[in-house]
Amino acid sequence: MKVFLNWRTNTTWVLTVASMKMWYRDGQAIFWTFFLPLVLMVIFGVLNFGDFGRVELGLVDQARTSASRNLISTLEKAEAVALFHQTGTGKAGIGVLASERLALEEGERDLVVVIPPEFGQPGGPVMVEVLFDVSQTREVQIGQTVISQILDEMTFALTDVPFRFGITTRPIYNRDLRFIDFLMPGLIAMSIMQMGLFSVAFTFVQLKNRGILRRLLATPVHPVSFLFGQVATRLSVSILQTLVLIAIGVFVFDVKILGNMASILFLALLGGGVFVSLGFAVSGWAKNEEVAAPIANIIALPMMFLSGVFFPRDAMPEVLVKITDFLPLTYLIDALRNVAIDGEALWSQGWSLLGLAVWLIITFLVAVKLFKWE
Amino acid sequence: MAQVNNPRPGRDSSGAEPIVKVIDLCKAYGGIRAVDGVSFSIDAGEVFGILGPNGAGKTSTVEILEGMRVPDSGTAWINGIDVEKTPRAVKSMIGIQLQSTTFFDRLSLAEILQVFASIYHRQVDPLELLGQVELQDRAKSVFKDLSGGQKQRFSLATTLVNDPLVLFLDEPTTGLDPQARRHMWELIKAFKGQGKTVLLTTHYMEEAEELCDRVAIMDQGRIVALDSPDALINELLSGGFHKERAEKAANLEDVFLELTGHDLRDA
Repeated sequence: MKVFLNWRTNTTWVLTVASMKMWYRDGQAIFWTFFLPLVLMVIFGVLNFGDFGRVELGLVDQARTSASRNLISTLEKAEAVALFHQTGTGKAGIGVLASERLALEEGERDLVVVIPPEFGQPGGPVMVEVLFDVSQTREVQIGQTVISQILDEMTFALTDVPFRFGITTRPIYNRDLRFIDFLMPGLIAMSIMQMGLFSVAFTFVQLKNRGILRRLLATPVHPVSFLFGQVATRLSVSILQTLVLIAIGVFVFDVKILGNMASILFLALLGGGVFVSLGFAVSGWAKNEEVAAPIANIIALPMMFLSGVFFPRDAMPEVLVKITDFLPLTYLIDALRNVAIDGEALWSQGWSLLGLAVWLIITFLVAVKLFKWE
Repeated sequence: MAQVNNPRPGRDSSGAEPIVKVIDLCKAYGGIRAVDGVSFSIDAGEVFGILGPNGAGKTSTVEILEGMRVPDSGTAWINGIDVEKTPRAVKSMIGIQLQSTTFFDRLSLAEILQVFASIYHRQVDPLELLGQVELQDRAKSVFKDLSGGQKQRFSLATTLVNDPLVLFLDEPTTGLDPQARRHMWELIKAFKGQGKTVLLTTHYMEEAEELCDRVAIMDQGRIVALDSPDALINELLSGGFHKERAEKAANLEDVFLELTGHDLRDA
């Protein structure tokens, strides 16, 4: 019993410490694991690249009436809209319209609103024409909503009927989500995937090919002791990655973490477990590093782009959304986003948790089946 | 226990159980019988050599003894313990130097020795162990920075962490230069001096002659001769064997060592 209480001679403990030393002394691994996601985060965060931003709305006023000026001034006050308006009646109006249309075609506008000459004059319904860029679904939706809301209000104002219904909006968190808020959980999940998959796959292919696993097999070490240390190291790294990326998000980019930290770290561990097992499966199957690298990339790259790290998945065709629903990285990202940024409870993420658990079981079984010591 | 088939002429019968005992081991890979009915035993304190050309079945035989492979038939005991039944118990009593091996990157030699010691629930003084193989000044080095001879010596040190009853050395000097090889011989002789039992494989006859109390010569999975080197040579000579050319009192290796010195160049 004394033997097991002495940490210096406890095999599992010593192997775990050794495995941690090996990992944290590996400059290259540190670079890929911490530095790269940080660089991505800083680039996207500082440049605000990929920001959903404001809706770029071009407006051609062919009416020049008090009603049209009223519409323009209301639009100018709308926070979600960056307004570019030009005025021109008659022939000039056509020229202005053509130039705005060109701007739309060149992607400088998300949508262009044309106010017809008869706008604001008494008589039947006046049609306001909206030209829009089909590729900018989200911005166009916002723009259309804003415009129709303003037009509705103007219609009510013109009639004598008092308001019977109204909408008051009450933002729950009093903040608007920026791209960095969207990106941070995605980057956390992506780094956990890269670390678990590549670090385990490469390390074990090396240990296997260079006969180190065989040398261990020549000792009475229990495989579980050795593997425990290796897995524990990777899981500790996934926790550290999460903490570092969250710290940079919070302190540098003012990301607000609404979720419970323990829930976030639990998700990091669960995700880490899935990708570490996947790494073991790859290392068991691949004969050398030249094979392991492309296999790991074939698994990781599509997930990086299809699981919604950098952009929302609903921008993809519906079929692709349905398929990518089942990717392990999707489950991890969805749960992390919902918990960390939207402040939802861990237990409300049942579907994602179930998905991750199923993937953990599948990858674990495959890893056990494929793993070889020599 | 079954009778050991091989006669052991010229040995006193003290009645002590042999520390290694092998009866009728067989192991085939595909259709090839790599080990084909091998039996022998080794007494405590002996240095026992298994000689043979590449592919003779030396390594396969040793790996079965080490509990690294399961034989198709036959039994091996180490210190009275059936290897096949309780390989882990056997592994904890022996030290194994594999033919070619590397160790963890990014751990110092001292750290690797502590890792190996922990596997046997032991605490060791890494410097003392490294001293035994004359690597005490490389305690903080990493394995891949060592020279060939140093690597082999470090590998030997890792087999000593559990103070093993039997040391298995698989071609311990293959690929080493003459100085490093002689240095390795001195270390093995020192173990013998400490009363350790050593089983080594080699295809250098000079090495076997220098180190081994008895040798088994293997060919095509079988032991074709088993005796002390002297007895085997005498037997050959008594059969009327003559070398075509008389042996000179020195050979080219002696010339080489005389010119380049006996000192190790690696440290």
